[in-house]
Amino acid sequence: MSRAKRSILSWLVLSPLIGITLLPFAVMISTSLKPHDEVLAYPPTWLPKRVAWENFVDMWDTVGFGQAAFNSVLIAVAATVLALVIAVPAAYAMSRLPMKGRGAYRQFLLVTQMLSPILLVLGLFRMAASIPLGEGTMADTRLGVIIVYAAYHLAFAVWMLASYFATIPADLEEAAWIDGASRGRAVLSVFLPLALPAIAVTGIVTFVASWNEFTVALTLLRDPSRLTLPLKVVNLVAGRYSVEWNQVMAATLLATLPVAVVFSLLQRYLVTGLTLGAVK
Amino acid sequence: MRQGWKWLIGACAALAMAAPAKAETVRMTVSFYSAATGPYFEKMAADFHAANPGIDVKIEVVNWSSLLQKLQTDISGGTNADVSIIGTRWLLDFVKDGIAEPLDGMMAPGFKERFIGPFLKPGQIGGKTYGLPVAASARAMYYNKAMLTKAGFPDGPRTWDDVVAAAEKIKADGGNGFGLMAKGTEVDVYFYYALWSHGGDVLDANQKAAFNSPAGVKALTLYKAMLDRGLTEPGPTNYTREDLQNQFKQGRLAMVMTAPFLINQIAKEAPTLDYGIVPVPTGTTQATYAVTDSVVLFANSKVKPAAMKWLDFLFTAGPRIAFTKGEGFLPTTNDEAKDPAFTENERLKVFVNLLPNARFAPTVTGWEDTAKAVSDAVQSVYLGSATPEAALNAAAAKANQSLGK
Amino acid sequence: MLILPSLLLALGVIGYPFYEIIRLAVSDVSRFGMVRGFSGWENFNRVVSDPVFVDALVRTLVWTVTVVGGTILVALPVALVLREDFWGRGVARTILMLPWSIALSMAAVVWLWAFNADYGMINAGLQHWGIIDKPLQWMARPETAFPVEVGIGIVVSIPFTVTILLGGLSSIPSEIYEAAKIDGARPWQSFWLMTLPMMRPFMNIAIVLNVIHVFNSFPIIWVMTQGGPNNRTHILVTYLYELSFYLGRPGPAAVVSLVVLLIVFSATAVYMWLREREG
Repeated sequence: MSRAKRSILSWLVLSPLIGITLLPFAVMISTSLKPHDEVLAYPPTWLPKRVAWENFVDMWDTVGFGQAAFNSVLIAVAATVLALVIAVPAAYAMSRLPMKGRGAYRQFLLVTQMLSPILLVLGLFRMAASIPLGEGTMADTRLGVIIVYAAYHLAFAVWMLASYFATIPADLEEAAWIDGASRGRAVLSVFLPLALPAIAVTGIVTFVASWNEFTVALTLLRDPSRLTLPLKVVNLVAGRYSVEWNQVMAATLLATLPVAVVFSLLQRYLVTGLTLGAVK
Repeated sequence: MRQGWKWLIGACAALAMAAPAKAETVRMTVSFYSAATGPYFEKMAADFHAANPGIDVKIEVVNWSSLLQKLQTDISGGTNADVSIIGTRWLLDFVKDGIAEPLDGMMAPGFKERFIGPFLKPGQIGGKTYGLPVAASARAMYYNKAMLTKAGFPDGPRTWDDVVAAAEKIKADGGNGFGLMAKGTEVDVYFYYALWSHGGDVLDANQKAAFNSPAGVKALTLYKAMLDRGLTEPGPTNYTREDLQNQFKQGRLAMVMTAPFLINQIAKEAPTLDYGIVPVPTGTTQATYAVTDSVVLFANSKVKPAAMKWLDFLFTAGPRIAFTKGEGFLPTTNDEAKDPAFTENERLKVFVNLLPNARFAPTVTGWEDTAKAVSDAVQSVYLGSATPEAALNAAAAKANQSLGK
Repeated sequence: MLILPSLLLALGVIGYPFYEIIRLAVSDVSRFGMVRGFSGWENFNRVVSDPVFVDALVRTLVWTVTVVGGTILVALPVALVLREDFWGRGVARTILMLPWSIALSMAAVVWLWAFNADYGMINAGLQHWGIIDKPLQWMARPETAFPVEVGIGIVVSIPFTVTILLGGLSSIPSEIYEAAKIDGARPWQSFWLMTLPMMRPFMNIAIVLNVIHVFNSFPIIWVMTQGGPNNRTHILVTYLYELSFYLGRPGPAAVVSLVVLLIVFSATAVYMWLREREG
């Protein structure tokens, strides 16, 4: 089969799925650019008669987009850093150090990975509400959400990092010890640089998962100034007496684009990183 | 470490010394009724502070949908505010758990007498007053004048037969006649309107389910028949009260039953809409639903006298009139009811005149479960998966279980 | 020493809530979360005798099987095509990975709007092409709402699944195909006899991870129908959420949590047993 023929065939096979994949983006872009009166026009059209850039400006105010984006970034970054700080040593220990109960620890990780926070949401919520913090409790604080995210992404992070660390030859570190470096130094100067790509991939996945998370945030956060982007967007639709779809779509688009760009750029690394981590 | 302790002790000492001079702070949780709610309470808090410099009032505004959740967290964490607005239907649980403080002993003389009797009653349990009615509403039918005039009912429908006849004509012109609400909260209430007006009741005198009476079957059959004949909007299980109100504002729906606050919304969002308000249509009798939200004082509050002072202030005529007018509710105190804003508002009067025939949700455990069972039954009928009789009987069995009968 | 913090954090944030849930499950809990006393099996009885629970349990299984099955059925051919070398492959890959970047809850919001009866593009498109003559009320009936939710579940699961399968395919050395070709194997034969068996570990992991994920998937159904109308799109996790935070019944909600946990644990045990057996 020639390459041209194969290309046409491939695209033909993929086209339905590509269509469905792109549809939400098309809907987002189309609606986010429509002025208010055109959104509720019947029958609907794809192209706005007038491009309403003001939706983004209005949305910024009504949603409090800046504050919500800040919350999302803060929570996702902090959760990622916390998860990594705890997971990297654990993964190092798992892949390098002989220890008793490694098998049990692995099982433990697997089990925690199986537990989605939604199953424990009621308990999480009560836990947060029972821990005093400042004037109130851990419930309705960003810190609470950060800790929960970090805990639930931990298993995945350790798992992925450990499988990757296992592929880094131990000889290099050992060579460094012979050269007189302490174990800690060897890890810092030899091991970590090699492990960086894996840490980066794990970090990105954790970041995006935290960025997109909905249930825990929905349960723990309530103060409008602390809500994350997904909550803000869903709040615009649920329980309102009028839904400004053009603003909703503008918010969704703006919240999605940065992640989409990062994903497209890093897609190749993610594929290798994830398969390595998931299957090994 | 040692430094830290020193600092801590110092801070404690400073706090202890500062304490007597510090103003008392009353925290209040307020539900979000409209964009005006927050500013209103902030302003009242400032006015109150000006008159009582020793007391600071802090307002926390929460969406209705997350109010129950917030109360859950705060109460189980012991970090609840001093006073809060709650749905009066939650009051029984509050009292059972010992969360709400009885107010009778703390109310200044004459305070209780300010309220309109029927609105205060749902806040009283076992002869004690726990909740003060802060917001009250009743339900009536809004109709689009142009559409109803064309259909031959320029003064709006009076009976269910009128509604059906008008909707038939409106359907022939390609419009949606009767708004049938079957999604979200109050799906059960929408059914109760017809149930009551056909002479039925939700619970009987023994607090046992009675909505599956012949009147109930008749009411639900009526709604279902209208749906089947295309006299309602298509797919009512997709429409919440808010959706129907929006359709009404856009002039795409001829008739809908809802609360007085739609008047304010229309004035703001669809000022050109020509509409009228009539009582809930009658079958055999006249009836409507009335509902209140209450303010409660938490039993664990440390500033009860200050909090009572604040409540006393909130329920004087000035603040009440501003609140009720701003939100589009009904007056709950006698003084505000005398204000021309209410006595001379023809539209609001329809609601006020309905009050003698108004039914309140009874304060019984299991009321919410009953509401859920009835809502589910109503939906299953609209979806065509059960007959009105079978669905209501099944719901009654479920409700009786929750009601402990 | 090095794994201690991870153990502590996981145990604290998973263990304590777990304890709370067990405690709530056997207690009489008020709407406002006050534990009134020990109630034994009462919450269990209430849950088990609730037809909505049984219904949601069955629907959860249907939901999991159809979404995961559908995902694999779509993702496998897509991965096979994406392995081929063709013009614009990079673009195609990037596009197909895009759903990954939208938060599930936001994707549900966008789809909800696309399926809006009056103003949504789906009805507009279907009417334009003459497939339907008047707008369909997609979300008004469980018969249409639930399949729509399943479809969206599949679409959002595809990127992850394709990624894993692609990784698996790339681990198969291309030489063996050439060898098979020389031996006269037809393409479908080499797919059936070589690709599929070699892909098995990858398929397994894709299935297991998807099952865990889909089984617990909350946002799509919560945002689109909240389990309604008439409770007929509830899966266990949405039912559990509604019970605890909307109907004010934390006790029974805790029971549902426990039931789901039990299912997850037994599924995990079966999976681990299978893995051990396969070595």
